[in-house]
Order: sequence, then C-alpha cells, then structure tokens
Amino acid sequence: MIEVKNLVRTFKSGDRTIKPVNDVSFELEQGALASIVGKSGSGKSTLLSLLGALDKPTSGDVVVNGVSLATMPDGKLTNYRRRDIGFVFQQFNLIPNLSAVDNVMLPMEFAGVRKGVRAERARQLLEQVQLDPYKHVRRINRLSGGEQQRVAIARALANEPKLILADEPTGNLDEQTGEHIIELLSTLSRDHNTTILVVTHDRALANKTDRRFRLQQGRLTEEPVRTRATAAVTG
Amino acid sequence: MSVLARSVGNAFRNKVRTAAVVAVLAVAIGLALAMLVANQAVTGKVAELNASVGTVLTVNPAGGQGFEGGGEPLTSAQAATAAAVPNVSSVVGTKALRLRNAAEIAAEAAAGQTGRTGQGGPGGQSATSVTTSLTAAVDAGTLGNRNQATSGTAGSTSGTTGSTTAAAPAFSLPITATGIDAEMDSTGKALQLTQGTGLGNYTAASTGALLGTTLATKNGLSVGSTFTIQDQTFTVQGLFDSGTAFGNNALYVTLPTAQTLAALPDELSTMIVTVNSMENVDAAKTALQAALGADKADVTQGQRNLETAVSSLDSVKNISFIAFVAALGTAGLIILLIMVMLVRERRREIGVLKAIGAPNRTIGLQFVLEALVLVALGSVVGAAVASLASGGIASALISSSSTTSAATAQRGGPGGFPGGPGGPLGGASQLLTSVTASASPGVIAAGIAAVFGVAIIGALVPALLTARIRPIEVLRGE
Repeated sequence: MIEVKNLVRTFKSGDRTIKPVNDVSFELEQGALASIVGKSGSGKSTLLSLLGALDKPTSGDVVVNGVSLATMPDGKLTNYRRRDIGFVFQQFNLIPNLSAVDNVMLPMEFAGVRKGVRAERARQLLEQVQLDPYKHVRRINRLSGGEQQRVAIARALANEPKLILADEPTGNLDEQTGEHIIELLSTLSRDHNTTILVVTHDRALANKTDRRFRLQQGRLTEEPVRTRATAAVTG
Repeated sequence: MSVLARSVGNAFRNKVRTAAVVAVLAVAIGLALAMLVANQAVTGKVAELNASVGTVLTVNPAGGQGFEGGGEPLTSAQAATAAAVPNVSSVVGTKALRLRNAAEIAAEAAAGQTGRTGQGGPGGQSATSVTTSLTAAVDAGTLGNRNQATSGTAGSTSGTTGSTTAAAPAFSLPITATGIDAEMDSTGKALQLTQGTGLGNYTAASTGALLGTTLATKNGLSVGSTFTIQDQTFTVQGLFDSGTAFGNNALYVTLPTAQTLAALPDELSTMIVTVNSMENVDAAKTALQAALGADKADVTQGQRNLETAVSSLDSVKNISFIAFVAALGTAGLIILLIMVMLVRERRREIGVLKAIGAPNRTIGLQFVLEALVLVALGSVVGAAVASLASGGIASALISSSSTTSAATAQRGGPGGFPGGPGGPLGGASQLLTSVTASASPGVIAAGIAAVFGVAIIGALVPALLTARIRPIEVLRGE
C-alpha cells in the first residue's frame, strides 16, 4: 500500500520557484497497475523520483506499508530502493562497460544474493524480456536502444520488488515487443501482487492499467479507465 | 561480477588513459623506490661507520706517541678520570712493548753493537728491554735498515754507543706486544680472531696470548703452542688477522701481564676512549682534554675524516628521504586527482548504482580498488625502473654531495678536511663512493607498501566524495 500525502517539490530557477509536483495526494493498493500521463515537463519524472526515494520532497510524505519515507535516514532509503523498488529509467541508465547479464545481476549483488543464484535469475529475466541468449553477455554499448530497454526492465525485476516505477518503459520498443512488455508488467501485477506505476505517453499502455492519473502543472487528477476485467470482457 | 572484478574492469575502461596514468605513476613510484633504496644504503653505511671507528678517541702521553717522543706516561688513575667524562661509554687502556729476539740481541752484543741493543728496548715509553723466543715475521728491508741506521747515528751522537769494528749481523724488526684490557686492537677495533678464543678476563694477569697470523706462521705456532717472553712461558690461545702485514707481526696479552713484563704496573701507553654517539665526539674530546690536562695527555680523533664522510652521507640520507617522501606524495596526489576526475566523470553512473540500491561503502570501495589496480600496475613498472635506476641515482646523489663537500673544504669551510690521500676529503671520498645501493626485495616491498598506503589515502578522498552524490543525479538531463 502506497499513500502519497500532500506531496510538494519545488525548484528555484533564478528568481522563480517552480513546482513540478504541487500538493499531490493519492493511494495505490498493493498489486495495482497504474499509469501517469501528462505533457512533457509536467513533473511526471519528478513525481516518480519522489516515490522511489531518489529525491526528497519539499513537503508532504510518501508512506509505504505504513513507513514514512520523509523521516527515513539515507541508509534505510538505500535499503528501501534495493529491496522494495525496481526502476525503469527513461534513458535506461545501464552501466555501459558491463554486459547485459552483469547489469541485471548488479541489484542482486547489492542485496547479497549468491553469485550462482543471481546468474541463473538474470538469465531467466533476460529471457522473459525476450533478449536473444547470445546477447546476454554483450556489452550494453553494443546493444540497440530497444534491447537496452529490455535489459533495464529485467534489472528492475531482479530483486522481485514490491513496487516498480517505470518511466516510458515501452518508449523505445517496437509495437510487438512493447505489447509483450505490457503483458509482462500486467502479469507481474496480477500474479505476483507487484504494484506498478508507469509514466507513459503510450495510450495503449495507459489504457491497460487499472488506474490512470493525469499530471498537469504539478497537480494530479485521476481519470476513469476500464478495469482489466472489464477490458477482458469487452475486448 | 564482484566489486573487485568491476574495479579491475573500470581501470581498463579507457586503455589509452590507463596507460598514461600508469606511466606517470610508474615514474613517481620508481623515483620514490629509488630514493628509498639510496636512503637505506646510506643509512646502512652510516651505521657501519659509526659502529666502527667513528666514535673512538685516542689518548697518548703529551708529547709522545707509540715508541716516539717523550713526556710522562699515562696512568690507571688517568683512565679512571677519562671514564668519568660525560658521554664516554668505555675506556680501554693499552701497554705497548717492543720484543726483540733473545738470540739476536745476544749476537748483536757479541758484535759490540750496544747502540742497537738500546734501540731494541721499549724506546721512549719504557726503559725495560723485553726479550722473546719469537722471530719477527717482517724483514727489515730497505726501510727498516734505513730507520735503524738513522737511529744508530742518534745513538752515536749521545756518546753512549761504542764504534763498531766487526761486521754487523742482519738487523731484524722488533715485534709489538700490546697489553689490552678488552678484546680490541690498539685503534679500538674489535680483534678479528681467525682461530682459537680470546683471553677471557683481560683485566687479570695470564699466560695466554693472541698472535697475528703471519707471526704465528713465521714461528710455526698454532693454538696451544707455547713461546717465551722474558723467559716466561706463554700459550697461544688464539690467532687474529688485522688485515695488514705490520699488524699481523704483533701479539696481544692482558694489560696486567704487559705491565708486569715491563715492570711498570700502573703505566699505560695509550687509552682508547669510546664516545656514546658521533654527535658527542667533539664535546667529549674537549672535555677529555680538559679533564686530563693538555700538558699531560694528547687527545686525538684518529679518523677525523670519517666525520666528514658521515656528515656527507647524512646529507645524502636526508636528501634521499625528502625526495622519497616528495615522490610518494606526488604519487598520492596523482591518484587523488585521477580519482577525483573519474568520480566527476561518473557522477551519473554513481547515481544509477545508488538508485538501484548500492550502499555508499560499496561504491567507495569500488573506487579505492580501482585506484589500487592503477597503483599496482604503476608499482610493477616503478619497481623495475627503481631496480635499474637506484644505483645510478644513489651514485649521482653521493658524487654531488662529495663535490659540494670538496668545494666547501677547498674554501676552508666547516666541512673541510685538509690533506689526506686523493683530494680534499681524503679517505672520506673513498668511503662515500664505497656505498652500494642495491634494490633488495625487502626495501622494495616496504616502499611499495608505503606507496599503497599513500594511494589508499589519496583514493579515499574521492571515494568519500561519492557518498555525497545523490541518486537523483541519475535523472539529470532526462
């Protein structure tokens, strides 16, 4: 369960104060698949970074399973990111001199998973995101943008987090692979009770989420969507 | 992939840059190691010199030395006075005797050469003639006979000798017998025994003796053999090698024995005074001269040039140590700057690692290990450079120091030492050039350990900087 309470993040730009996140409040049940849509620069990525404890809010709080992130010390925030969060960044942010499989193994290494276990799990995750096996050991800088996106998604899933925060996860993928990734995220949410919040411009992806939020000038509003069950019935 | 493997991989991420960094580090580390090797070599030499004769003073009767000159003999009471002087760590008294072969004295007497018999006695230091069954191991030769002729003339002038009418028998050199109250020679150096043992208690009378190797060979003696002095039987208890033909034509007995043989129980020929440190030698010499009286004793520093040599070596030691520290600091600074540059360059990557849950200590350790990989490579090349260059660098430092000292000496400055063989520094310059700098594994290992220590300190600063990078860095520019 994630509770976002009156979240505000301001930045100074010269004499001006910008509020990309302005008094945002919402709740997400465990296992929910939700999306945030909005124009570029509307504050979607800033909101995502606040939820993932990459940044600290100016005011307000994020409460995860009853634990406040606002008062959590840095060391515990690191643990929170390692154990509970999986990030898919818009620009992938993979380590360029490591192979695909090494990149996927990194979060597991930080979590203390044994080498043999993490290597096997990394291989399975890369297969799940449909990366050709012979590319598992390729360096990241020798993979295409779409392949890097899939490695980034596999890395986010490495420690089986409770919350996946994905910034444009299908942005660099072809339609077929994008469909597969949407299906994968949906399965994780449904079968593994993983909460997934995606920031997207992809209408198809947004339409397949349980809840859809719109961020406009820092303010968040929820839009009505068909539920997965409804969507399945109505096709 | 472990932190170590990732660090090694990162160290080679940009091969050209890595090669350049390793080359620069190798120069700094090589210089540091070469300076350390030079420093160790010079330190060892200084210790060796200090341990030998650098702190020894010799006290002779005022106006006399050995069997030459005149004045009043030294006494045991003066030895006690010397021992009470500040910074004096030991006083060894000696009593020198000149031994002549009893048969040769008899032959010379039969030929009417009473002047020679007088010269064969203990000279200016003792009026007692001491006879022995031993034959000198050194032939008189041209020098001995010339000296003998000169002495004979002096004897004739005094009117105490008769004129010679018969053919003189061949002249033989006397043997020097020295009574000592510690196991050291008359210059203060420890006796180098090649066979047998010492004399045990040197402060008590005994019938044991230590013989020079050539003297023993000449007389067919070995450990356990016997010979006579003044018709008293002595047993050879050990053989020594002084390193010179003159020095090996000698024997040592205990001090009380020598005093008894000379029938002068309280008399000393010289005193060997050892000072507790090189720095205190000058002060001790002055104090000793004052305590004994300038009209009673001459205090000399036998190897004054050693002080000059040690002084020059000390300056080389200091220069090499400062250069070692400076080169070490340079290596640390290079590591610091390189790692700061790498941390700045990889801010985004550090942010990513933090965003996916890497603790600060893991990221810091990764950068420290990466620095150590570069240092390890630099150390390997640097050690090779040092092993090739350390000898040359040490020689350059020492020759530079010698030149400076020599120039100072020629100007009459405080470091000067006039005269002596081979130039203004005399024996000192020879001592300086005898320093051999070889890169021993122990010294290289110690140097590399110091380099690693400095590198860790240099790498810790940028590693700590990584802790200040916030994971939000990862979203910058997105």
